[in-house]
Amino acid sequence: MTDLIEKKISIQPPDDSEVVISVENVSKKFCRNLKQSLLYGVQDITTELFGVNRNSDVLRPKEFWALKDISFQLRRGEALALIGSNGAGKSTILRIISGLIKPDTGRVRVRGRIAPLIALGAGFNPILTGRENIYANMSILGLSTKEIEERFQDVIDFAEIADAIDAPVQTYSSGMAARLGFACAVHIEPDILLIDEVLAVGDIKFRMKCHRRLAKLRDNGTAFILVSHNPPAILNVCTSAVYISKGKLITTGDIDTVVRKYEEDLCLAGTEKSPGYLVLPEKSQNESTGIDITSVYFKDAQGNIVATPTSGEPISLCVECKAHRRVTNANLCITITDVGGENGRILYLTAANDNEYLEVLPGKNELQMYMPFCCLNPGVYNTKVFIKEGAYSFDAVESFRFTVKSNTITSQSLFYQPREWKVMN
Amino acid sequence: MHSKHQLPEVIHTPESSLKHPLRLLQQMWRDLLASRELAWRLMVRDISAQYRQSFLGIAWAFLPPIVMAASFTLAKGAQVINVGVTDIPYPAYVMFSTALWQTFVEALNGPVQAVTVAKPMLARVNFPREALILAKLGEVFFNFGIKTILIVALFIFFRVSVSWTVIIAPVALIHLVLLGTFIGILLAPFGVLYQDVSKGLSLITGFWLFLTPVAYAVPNEGTFGYLVKLNPVTPLLVTTRELATTGVVSEPIGFWVVSAITIIGLLLTWIAFRLAMPFVVERVSS
Repeated sequence: MTDLIEKKISIQPPDDSEVVISVENVSKKFCRNLKQSLLYGVQDITTELFGVNRNSDVLRPKEFWALKDISFQLRRGEALALIGSNGAGKSTILRIISGLIKPDTGRVRVRGRIAPLIALGAGFNPILTGRENIYANMSILGLSTKEIEERFQDVIDFAEIADAIDAPVQTYSSGMAARLGFACAVHIEPDILLIDEVLAVGDIKFRMKCHRRLAKLRDNGTAFILVSHNPPAILNVCTSAVYISKGKLITTGDIDTVVRKYEEDLCLAGTEKSPGYLVLPEKSQNESTGIDITSVYFKDAQGNIVATPTSGEPISLCVECKAHRRVTNANLCITITDVGGENGRILYLTAANDNEYLEVLPGKNELQMYMPFCCLNPGVYNTKVFIKEGAYSFDAVESFRFTVKSNTITSQSLFYQPREWKVMN
Repeated sequence: MHSKHQLPEVIHTPESSLKHPLRLLQQMWRDLLASRELAWRLMVRDISAQYRQSFLGIAWAFLPPIVMAASFTLAKGAQVINVGVTDIPYPAYVMFSTALWQTFVEALNGPVQAVTVAKPMLARVNFPREALILAKLGEVFFNFGIKTILIVALFIFFRVSVSWTVIIAPVALIHLVLLGTFIGILLAPFGVLYQDVSKGLSLITGFWLFLTPVAYAVPNEGTFGYLVKLNPVTPLLVTTRELATTGVVSEPIGFWVVSAITIIGLLLTWIAFRLAMPFVVERVSS
């Protein structure tokens, strides 16, 4: 957490010479009808060739604004997240910034070399070996042969494919190919890196390595734009965010505020009455899959509802649900992740792993997970709750946020350890 | 630390790049220089992939001219067709001309193919698009280089006398390739949008071959002779052939007219290609 705060302070003084990307009132229109779209393409090309103004700020029949009046700035060394659900226009912004397509209104100013991480393995030819493909791929991303040779060994080491480097890429596993693509892209050492939902390649070990590499690039002054619809993936990397929905800018600013707004919109169904108490609307009979979660909250040892669990105190996580039938071996799965911290997932607990089967009766039930000690350090956490039977999921809560407070000083420890001090004589 | 103040600023706006012609020409020159290394890389990649996935390999460069020459020689022998009088032995004439024609067709199809195959790459990375065309040009010349082995063998076998002008024959060949590239680049952006272009292209080249003096000597009379003379490929192909063999150029004016049109047209289509690509990319992807 302290790390994060320091970074925020360092970007505070806005200095215009530091701006590497400036997006000013950019709009882009698209057409969903393919035939029409191709015709418009030909029309646009013709007007462009005659140097005529193509009246790009007016919609033609069957067109819509995929982006409308988007403005934001990116400074050196800053990491900006573009958040929005699928189809919000995130990738379109990246493509306009990289100059692949022209904006229809407004303008984009870019200072420095851009490397798009949208293009994992652009130009990979499956017939050729990994070695040949590294040369082709990095060349497409704009490096000279000399520069590629300098980085070649680093790329292989990073991708961990030294054994397979002279085998055709079509013999690689999908993970290996993705690792190679990622390794090529992050070794370009660009001034600006555009990352489009690709941080999820490879196993957890490789992902950690990617994050370390990105952090290093950032320390060297590389600015990032990271696109995601999955907030936890970006919370650790980015400091500020832009939230767009259906092509419109909803809000920009500090990452926590923007992500909260995005998550609120995502879970419009679930309204957090107060922090630490989530109530979900009742589902209709045909929406229901057997068991519906109605609310999630905490109870202390005395059975009183508490908003903020205290580190070291006994606490129960309660999931209230409504069942339409009797389920004898229900399973409650709880995943707790650290919001904004570097640890990511902290706890994954399921009743089935503990060989506990919960019997749910028709009507209202309260499933409890009793923790004799709340071992979480003070901080903000996000919980995912699933009610399952075997592999079948009845209902889930994607995001239940709560804060843990503390009565003692714990900051030097990673978690709360229950303990007693004694002297045996 | 980077020298951030020296970083050049790029501005993307909706207006046509033609509004700033000087800047456009500068960018074109810069991109052409910047694309040399990438073009080389792409060419090496494409050629090695092409031969690695082929059993017959370079035989594919020899087979079409040989098959073509064999069938026309047979047809001529049986007097099915009347081809007129050729300067050099007929099989050598057909094989050499077919090799030249094939090179022209490769140059013609090159840009459309290159851009279509590179669609995913075009949609994701902003690299100098000129590299695709240059790489394809390199491939065309590489393939012709292989064909020269056949041609040299052929000339020795048929004892075709070669004039000193063979040294300048490559110039005419380059003009022939550039003519194909010029038309190819013109079609490339539309070829990505509409499949009709590549289908139409194979249909037209089939017909075009008949209007080109590949399997017959240049006719002088009739509507057919007129059409063959109007065909822009004719003067370039015939001149290349004549420079390499007899050394007597029969149609110098036609050659220079078509060459001039080719060079100017190439420059103009290059500009058009650059301007059109963002709109093409916009329509093909995501």
